[in-house]
Amino acid sequence: MGLRWYHFALWGGFILFMYLLPEFVSRGTLRTIIFANFLAVFAISWDVISGRTGYVSFGHPFLIGIGAYTTAILTKRFGVPVELSIPLAVLATMAGGLIVLIPALRIRGSYFALVTLAFMELMYQLVQVIRPDLTGGTRGMSGIQTLTRGAENGFYMSFTLLAVLSVGTWLLMRTQFGTALSAISMDEDSVAGSGLNTVKLKTAAFLVSAFVAGVGGAFYVHYLGSLAPRALFDINFVFTIIVAALIGGASTIVGPIIGAFFLTFLLEYLRPWLPGAERYFIYGGVALLLYMYQPKGFYAIIMAGWSRLRARMARRKPGARA
Amino acid sequence: MLLQILIQGTLLSGLYALIAVGFTLIFSVGRVLNLAYGAYLMLGGYVFFFISQQLGAPAVVGVLCAAVLGCAAGLLKYRLIARPLGDNPVAVEISTLILAVVVQSGIVLIYGDSSKILLPIVPGVIRVAGTSVTYNLVVATLASWAILIALYLFVQRTHIGRAMRAVSMDRKGAAISGVDPDVINMITWGISGLLGAVAGVFFASYTQLSPSMWVGPLIISVAVVIVGGIGSIIGTLIVAHIVGFMEVIVIAVIAPELRGVFTMGLIIGVLILRPRGLFGREEL
Repeated sequence: MGLRWYHFALWGGFILFMYLLPEFVSRGTLRTIIFANFLAVFAISWDVISGRTGYVSFGHPFLIGIGAYTTAILTKRFGVPVELSIPLAVLATMAGGLIVLIPALRIRGSYFALVTLAFMELMYQLVQVIRPDLTGGTRGMSGIQTLTRGAENGFYMSFTLLAVLSVGTWLLMRTQFGTALSAISMDEDSVAGSGLNTVKLKTAAFLVSAFVAGVGGAFYVHYLGSLAPRALFDINFVFTIIVAALIGGASTIVGPIIGAFFLTFLLEYLRPWLPGAERYFIYGGVALLLYMYQPKGFYAIIMAGWSRLRARMARRKPGARA
Repeated sequence: MLLQILIQGTLLSGLYALIAVGFTLIFSVGRVLNLAYGAYLMLGGYVFFFISQQLGAPAVVGVLCAAVLGCAAGLLKYRLIARPLGDNPVAVEISTLILAVVVQSGIVLIYGDSSKILLPIVPGVIRVAGTSVTYNLVVATLASWAILIALYLFVQRTHIGRAMRAVSMDRKGAAISGVDPDVINMITWGISGLLGAVAGVFFASYTQLSPSMWVGPLIISVAVVIVGGIGSIIGTLIVAHIVGFMEVIVIAVIAPELRGVFTMGLIIGVLILRPRGLFGREEL
């Protein structure tokens, strides 16, 4: 797996730093970080399918929505306790992941991206029409049970979620399974030719992605306490998830986290200067320029800088270490 | 009832064919999905709104300005986005998606969030078989038929059109035969932008202007391209009628809220059962 002690040291340092954060920053900043945490979870989930295997999904809210709606309906309309409704929501999302898998067995590339967009749009229209007494129709639902009160608790919950899911996915992606998924994005036929069962690999990848999306979606709705179809199945939401993963660095775990924090804080820090609609214009423009400059994202920029730095250090101290 | 469906369906389908054909063109020649295609429609609609409703110029001038600007937008998009990222279709798709969101926020910046009503390009209503049909939609349908026929002749008969087909079939082969794929791609992006902007004027006068109006037509274009299969103007026309009539029938017979559901179902079904579309070439 190629694990080194410093991997764990970095993860440990990051997690420790984040847990100490509520001591130092304001509640407003904490609330911003909570959104960044959830966005990071969604971006990691997207990245497992799209960053790794190259099956770009434009309809990831489809999965997140299944998780969010399942637990919201179960707790609000049927009085199911949260301890039971969240696992059920995750299971439902994984079933949804298998639905998204069906087209991935036959089509690739742009066609797959389009069919996922269609899935999201279909879901958006269906939740408004079918049983509006359950789903809340166009207006969505409010007054859903919340798990936490106050910014600190919300922060601890969302960050714990992010830490567990990201370390878990990171470990999983360092196994041979993760390597095989990356190979699929390069040349699926060669992977099949090497005697690996790509159907099984893809099924597993979609299930992992759906699991993360389901957990994220369910906890998100229990954090917000409300949900609205227009905000959830929105192409702007897809945009934020994809851009977070990409400008951070696709097919890494750290990348989507960096990207999610960057995007959330960019939007937040633009607020004092640009209170109106200009904010989204600048925000999208920055995202577009960054993506055009380096499609591999911050992760690649940092890594390139790091290796340049090391090369310079090695030159300055000859004989120290090659 | 039947006559009503027939009339409404024909009119709506003509509009849909016009919307979708520019998107199909890029997809079959350039092999990339231009997810910012809906932004041309929005651009066209708002330019028309500015020129003929705010400045009070004649409608023809508004349409012409929309067309020119749409064409320029297409060319710019090719030079600045599609060509630098040329070998990576996924990167083009993602950056056009980002661009669409940027254009949307640009529109919000200028005109605000609320939707605007576009006065009909050609005023007046005619009553046929118990249903009222606006002249506006009739003109839109006639114009879209004229544009589609002109485009078909252009692609089939002219030298540039043949070169476009050659590039769409085999880029390398076309290059060997002395066709510059770069120039052809650029022309295609320009034409696609022009068609999108003109379609946007008619689409906006059919519904209304709003900063999120680009998503609906994009989905319709996607449906038409997928179900029709790439590289077929005739396929586009037929499938636009399938989608248009399906919507009208669903609205009239089942429920207006379900109008999009069947379109989505059609996309998903066709992609899974017959991935190359109903009329597409043998390839994927």
